[in-house]
Amino acid sequence: MQHFWDQPLSWGTAAIFAAGAVGVLAFVLFFVTYAIYFERKVIGWMQYRKGPNRTGPLGLLQSVADVAKLLLKEDTIPKKADKGLFVLAPVLAFVPSFAVLAMIPYSMNLQFADLNVGFLYYIALSGITTIAIVVGGWASNNKYALLGGMRSAAQMISYEVPLVISVVGCVMLSGSLNLREIVESQAGYFWQWNFIPQIIGFAVFLVAAVSELNRTPFDLPEAESELVAGYHVEYSGFRFAFFMLTEYVYVYAIAALTTLLFLGGWNAPAPQLDFIPGILWFFVKFAFIVFSLFWIRATFPRLRVDQLMGLAWKVLLPLAILNIFLTAIGIELMR
Amino acid sequence: MIRTEELLLNVGPQHPSTHGVFRIVVKLDGEIITEATPVMGYLHRGTEKLAENLNFTQIIPYTDRMDYVSAMTNNYVLCHSVEKMMGLEIPERAEFLRLIVMEMQRVASHLVWWGTYLLDIGAMSPFLYAFSDRERILQLFNELCGARLTYNYMRVGGVKWDAPDGWIDRVKTFVKDMHFRLDEYHNLVSGNEIFLSRIKGVGQYDAQTAIDYGLSGANLRSTGVQWDLRKTEPYSLYDRFEFDVPVGKNGDCYDRYLCRMEEITQSLRILDQALEQFPGEGDTMGKVPRAIRPPAGEIYVRIESPRGEIGCHIVSKGKAEPYRLKFRRPSFVNLQILPKLLVGESMTNLVTILGGIDIVLGEVDC
Amino acid sequence: MKGMLKGLGVTMKTLGSKKVTLAYPDVPIDMPDRFRGIQYFDPDKCIVCNQCVRICPTECITLTGKANPDPEKKGKVIDTYDINFEICILCDLCTEVCPTEAVVMTNNFELASYSRDELFKDKDWLFGNNTNVREDNNNIGSPKGGAK
Repeated sequence: MQHFWDQPLSWGTAAIFAAGAVGVLAFVLFFVTYAIYFERKVIGWMQYRKGPNRTGPLGLLQSVADVAKLLLKEDTIPKKADKGLFVLAPVLAFVPSFAVLAMIPYSMNLQFADLNVGFLYYIALSGITTIAIVVGGWASNNKYALLGGMRSAAQMISYEVPLVISVVGCVMLSGSLNLREIVESQAGYFWQWNFIPQIIGFAVFLVAAVSELNRTPFDLPEAESELVAGYHVEYSGFRFAFFMLTEYVYVYAIAALTTLLFLGGWNAPAPQLDFIPGILWFFVKFAFIVFSLFWIRATFPRLRVDQLMGLAWKVLLPLAILNIFLTAIGIELMR
Repeated sequence: MIRTEELLLNVGPQHPSTHGVFRIVVKLDGEIITEATPVMGYLHRGTEKLAENLNFTQIIPYTDRMDYVSAMTNNYVLCHSVEKMMGLEIPERAEFLRLIVMEMQRVASHLVWWGTYLLDIGAMSPFLYAFSDRERILQLFNELCGARLTYNYMRVGGVKWDAPDGWIDRVKTFVKDMHFRLDEYHNLVSGNEIFLSRIKGVGQYDAQTAIDYGLSGANLRSTGVQWDLRKTEPYSLYDRFEFDVPVGKNGDCYDRYLCRMEEITQSLRILDQALEQFPGEGDTMGKVPRAIRPPAGEIYVRIESPRGEIGCHIVSKGKAEPYRLKFRRPSFVNLQILPKLLVGESMTNLVTILGGIDIVLGEVDC
Repeated sequence: MKGMLKGLGVTMKTLGSKKVTLAYPDVPIDMPDRFRGIQYFDPDKCIVCNQCVRICPTECITLTGKANPDPEKKGKVIDTYDINFEICILCDLCTEVCPTEAVVMTNNFELASYSRDELFKDKDWLFGNNTNVREDNNNIGSPKGGAK
């Protein structure tokens, strides 16, 4: 993709960009459809159930049927809701989640946009989704939604701080914010991947990432046993589908980021295994992260708001900062 | 100056964590509850009034529907009080069957509690784990008396059905399996740090408060008061078996959790002994006059249900129908402490505390 | 941390274990013989003693009798016999008191219908409900014998 960026913008290149975007969108929708299916299957298996198995062979069309149902549903807007914001919120949530996918490299050459500030770009855009969730919670004019929106604002803003700082160690090791260069710096055997030299950063990143995703055990904004459904309690039909889609697109983005930053991206665990294409390695690691998210969801209970905040500011942030110092010392000593 | 006001939030009657049609009107300052008012009665069916026009055999199916996750103990308290009034002898085999089903019911009831409590706290697997094991108990009950939830099993003077062939052995197998399953439950959540931090020190009260509010069951025992009617006022055959009454120390949700989990173990222990001593043969129905007419007078009988002290107060005028029937429902009494516990807690703890009290709405509203 | 890892171990172990889901609508559930399902009613056995009506806690049974059409015989035969399954709680008391086992339980339990009217079952319908009839109608719970 990269050489198209270097050419002057013409109708031809614009068409290629558009086609690429549609391609990524199609791929992401496919991922989301089967991530939901896979999630329901895995969690079902972990609970002595069979999971969806009625729609299509092995239940493979279950998510398709669900989406079709959501799209066909009557679009309701509560009478007392702030109509403009209510309509805006799902769009505002989804657009950044999709835009962040542009900078993810899947292998050495397969990347949509090679940004020098790749990781910062992710953080900057994903912050907008927080606003969308607060807006959605506020515009619904529902008390549960409002509480959910407030919780999510507090949670996502708090966790972005350790999330960013935990990655600084990786950035220091590779000397670049560019995701492709970060991956390249991890080439070699699997113990050279960042998750071992950056074990503290990796742990902090994982916790903060799960929290950013609003998934169990950090699913407070939509805590169903307390807030019924949290910020999207009043949404139905395709607006709800957009919130759902956003959540899973972020799962995609975070899983990809974790793979790139800490698990060596498309690098094989040992140079001898290089004959297997890098993109396969990427997706194996990616699938493992996604599976872990589902696994955690099937096992853990939910945290409480005050504990959640305490964890972010009192534990994760100091650890992340400590990690920066340790990395700096390490780099100095190794030199 | 920004105008601020308290948020008045209606939790329920349709809310995932109120375990039925229960409603709490809470005043929130941010996420902190400043006032909580429980509103109940959505499931009120007037059981006590209906009973005044029914004879005692007809009331038994109605008691099934009070505490619907523990119907056997409800059956028992009614039958036992009528038997006591009439001075009836119960054959040993019938009494054993009653005791066995009551203890199985206690396990089943605590499993429901465990599953739904964890669901309230946000973990969803325990719910399905618990229900898959409870299913086995229900299946055994289904074989015994032909129903899975509303058993209508006990009768004044005995039980309706004798154990079918091989039933006792199947219960034995179940009890053996359940010991292993319980270990797995503990592995799954009892050590989980998130879970512990959620329930430790939440909803705490001391023994005196518990007694003042008339709490019973695990809600009382979690404060360290050793009060289990099976031990303190043995009824049925409980004096024949060895078992401990687990008590807590701090009176918080964690101690209540541990108490209930330990009660499952103790129930299994009782079941082990009862199944061993189960008489090989005998009647399951005592000598009962054709028309059940307790002599004029009053009686109050209490037993230990999974939720606490369930009592039955009968006023009889010598007729086939009670003149007045009053049930002391443990869920209803235990619920009274809720408004006091909720003040100053967050919305999240509302769910934890309400779940920890373990109410069944059919019993609260009766 | 240790507790969390243990929990993860349990769920992982369950991932490969046998599933308990029943394929219910495809595979009918076999209920044990004692199961209390929709009643089967045999008009020939009924002696119109009215005991089931009197014992019913929800008063869901109504019956009427008529004089025996055979002038040789005394007594009544059943004319109409209706059970309202909107309020029937399948408590088993009617079959328990029935002296002739004219009304017995079956293992059928599927009563769902689109209209409440369909839940009002008459004599013929109940007679037609003759599959999976309960074999063991042990009446130990009640005093034996006929009408008082």
